[in-house]
Amino acid sequence: MDRVVLDGLSKRYGRLWALRDVRARFAPGETVMVIGPNGSGKSTLIRCMLGLVHPTEGGISINGCEVGRDPSYRAGIGYMPQFAEFPRELTVEQLLRMMSDIRGSRSGAMDDRLISQLGMDALLDKRIGSLSGGMRQKVSAVLAFRYRPDLLVLDEPTAGLDPVSAGKLLDAAMRAKRDGATVLITSHIMEEVERLGDRVAYLEDGRLRFVLPPELILEATGERTLSQALPAYLSKKHRSHVEGL
Amino acid sequence: MWKVCKYTLLDLARNRFAIGYALLLLVTSSGLFMLEADDTKALITLSQVVLALTPLLALVFTIIWHFNQLEFTVLLAVQPLRRESILRAQYIAVSTALSGSFVLGVGLPVLAWAPGPVAWTLLLTGIGLTLVFCALGLWIAVWQRDRAKAVGIGLVTWVGLVLLYDTLLLWIMFTFSDRPIEPLIVPLAALNPIDLSRIIIMLRIDLAALLGYTGAVYERFFGSIGGAAVSATALALWMAIPFLLATRSFVRKDL
Repeated sequence: MDRVVLDGLSKRYGRLWALRDVRARFAPGETVMVIGPNGSGKSTLIRCMLGLVHPTEGGISINGCEVGRDPSYRAGIGYMPQFAEFPRELTVEQLLRMMSDIRGSRSGAMDDRLISQLGMDALLDKRIGSLSGGMRQKVSAVLAFRYRPDLLVLDEPTAGLDPVSAGKLLDAAMRAKRDGATVLITSHIMEEVERLGDRVAYLEDGRLRFVLPPELILEATGERTLSQALPAYLSKKHRSHVEGL
Repeated sequence: MWKVCKYTLLDLARNRFAIGYALLLLVTSSGLFMLEADDTKALITLSQVVLALTPLLALVFTIIWHFNQLEFTVLLAVQPLRRESILRAQYIAVSTALSGSFVLGVGLPVLAWAPGPVAWTLLLTGIGLTLVFCALGLWIAVWQRDRAKAVGIGLVTWVGLVLLYDTLLLWIMFTFSDRPIEPLIVPLAALNPIDLSRIIIMLRIDLAALLGYTGAVYERFFGSIGGAAVSATALALWMAIPFLLATRSFVRKDL
């Protein structure tokens, strides 16, 4: 069974269509890199899946559950936003406890490896207000991975992280994928997209232009890197050579 | 809901604004009682401070706090929680924290210097106003996406209820002074939570006699059990309606 099904998803803000008839299916154990220019609809797509934005048309199902008012499907989601903010006066430990309390029974099988891997052990008793932006991103990463989600949504996860921590975070994402999670990552870093993505979902003007493996894009264009291949692929002469459009 | 409420309260308990608000009220209340030999006069002055300051700070703090917490609220909305529960928890936490500051800042000095029914009335109306204006602030913050505009709307609301509404009532009373409009003034006063609180305190301090016929009308209506029930219901509605509207907006809103 597909983990995520996007069925004719559209979202309109006033007169602007942020998403138009997006149709796609994402499987368990798959990493999908969501890319596209600024304002292409990446954030809206992710927010629709998380239930934060209400679609104008179409629907989304996650693990067979329709995304709607019943919040129980979100128990299987891990989300790392691009910019994380937490209650400033709580300590990191209190924040982790708060989330575990909210998750209830699902917090039983927690994965705390990332706490030590990202060097967070010593920060557990620190006030969140005293942490730097990068440290708060690490806290956010820990929360996203902690409850062994079926669907991991990472919005520009390496932005603001030092290279070593960024590497460890992406390793954790690959580990989650091997354990059967569907991993959705938005990124502007083409090396990341090429290295991590089983498929690349390209959005432009709210439309999903393609969902293809990166190798296929490279093969179709004859380029060696995705950053070179993507513009070439998007130009008309290559489009007809690749299936899946 | 209670889990979110508990940790939000834990965060707010160390919030500098909430602590500063309690200290400001404590210094003001204690100062008034120390400087004024007559406790009743001190209570009257303090009630004027409370009626103006409590709504303003509850309104502005709730709006600013909501916007400061927005990213975290989004993260909570991604957890297996209903949006209604999140907002309810946040409302309970913010209004409890500010009510706590009010009890510490006003309640303790008032009960120490002038214990009695007036002190309790002042304390309860102050808490009531905190609950009302936290709900109003939450509604404005949820409905308005822009922080500066939301604070602006909050300030205009406060000015409207503290100054403009009274000016309008006075204008009506003067314009129609040759007619018996006092019975009309009673329901009009009940429509404004600050006026309503002022009348409740005024009746307790026994100042209604100074207002002549209007005071007698107030006394006759609000002094009765039915009038007290109407006052309590009006304040409860002032709290419930904005909160329900905030919840409706929050559930439908794109975060």
